[in-house]
Amino acid sequence: MIATSTFHYQPTDHEAEKASNSYVMSMIAIMGGLPLPIINLIATFFFYLGNRKGTFYVRWHCTQALLSQLFLIPFNSAGFWWTVSIIFTSETISSQYIAYILTLFIFNLIEFIGTIYTAIITRKGRHVEWWVIGGLTNLICKA
Amino acid sequence: MVGNWRPNQFNLQSLMKKILTELVLTVAIIVAVWFGLSQVDWMKLFKIKQATQNTEEKIGDLFWKMMQNSETEITSDSIVAPVDSILTRICTANSIDRKKIKLHLLRKDDINAFALPGNHLVIYSGLITTCENEAELYGVIGHELAHMEKNHVMNKLVKEIGLSVLISISTGNGNSEAIKSAIKQISSSAYDRKLETEADLTAVDYLEKAGIDPEPFANFLYQLADQTKNLPSQIYWISSHPESKERAEKIIERIKGKSFPKAEVMDSLRFERLKERVQELVK
Repeated sequence: MIATSTFHYQPTDHEAEKASNSYVMSMIAIMGGLPLPIINLIATFFFYLGNRKGTFYVRWHCTQALLSQLFLIPFNSAGFWWTVSIIFTSETISSQYIAYILTLFIFNLIEFIGTIYTAIITRKGRHVEWWVIGGLTNLICKA
Repeated sequence: MVGNWRPNQFNLQSLMKKILTELVLTVAIIVAVWFGLSQVDWMKLFKIKQATQNTEEKIGDLFWKMMQNSETEITSDSIVAPVDSILTRICTANSIDRKKIKLHLLRKDDINAFALPGNHLVIYSGLITTCENEAELYGVIGHELAHMEKNHVMNKLVKEIGLSVLISISTGNGNSEAIKSAIKQISSSAYDRKLETEADLTAVDYLEKAGIDPEPFANFLYQLADQTKNLPSQIYWISSHPESKERAEKIIERIKGKSFPKAEVMDSLRFERLKERVQELVK
């Protein structure tokens, strides 16, 4: 699910720190994003603003962190609005709803663990490419 | 997987193919996990239904006690038994547990019937005397029963007065004003149009299964809609159930082309005796 490799150039310590920080920010966004998906959206926006002019290594990892957040938004939003409809409308709590929230929890947890791992590896100046997200980042982020 | 990564080393077509394959696989895995977890009866496992029922019963009992203190309940068997038999017939025909429903008849001129949480069904004497025949009363009872079975009562309360107030009421921390306000909400204001329609159509199904013609129920709605113009404050059941003509039309549309035994509607003698007894009591 996560492919580790060396980057085509050796990122400086400063670059590695910045790239790693984007995943630290992402981690915080994941924590808040399950109950309130708008946090994912805000986090992605700030990633973009802060790092659009960075070096390629920084940009690449910020984009990957950004896309990983975007990927969660539709799933978390569906869970959020389902919960709202249970509280405020005639919709009732069901096994399907609980299963969906558990599924969200599992995948948010996987992403959370993956983010911690990626933050550690990128801090060492290594390159980490995620399943789906890595490919999309390659498509978007040009050297 | 460890290797040496270089930018722009990808063939665009193969990269797109890889992304799409991975994306489809990921979404499929998420759906499969959701589907797999859905097979578990979480409601039973977490005892959610039981906990909800207990809360609902507590709130319902509290509401009913408060109503009992301020209103006069009709306990005469000669009045309660015929209404009870209507309720029992609908329940039996529709596999609804009759024992869970607590029927209360109140001596009040207002044309009103409503469901309280915890399966309390309250009917005012004014409603019984206004019904022209037994089938109309069957319709109203079926409608309120549908609100109970479809969990509209608690949903409405949560929506109108808020979950926090309901929890405080159920834990005994709610003040009497909050309870009075909740009772007022449930007894004299409407459910939203979608829920009213759902209750109407479910009532039609209940009546069909019980072998009762739903047409008099639709007529009842028509009649009350006309009467509302003259007596708006007394006709709570209709003023709390808006767009009654539209609702009546939906009922008629639902039963179009179906035939029902007219004998039930014509059984007016028994119903007239009930009405007389109620009128005597109210005098």
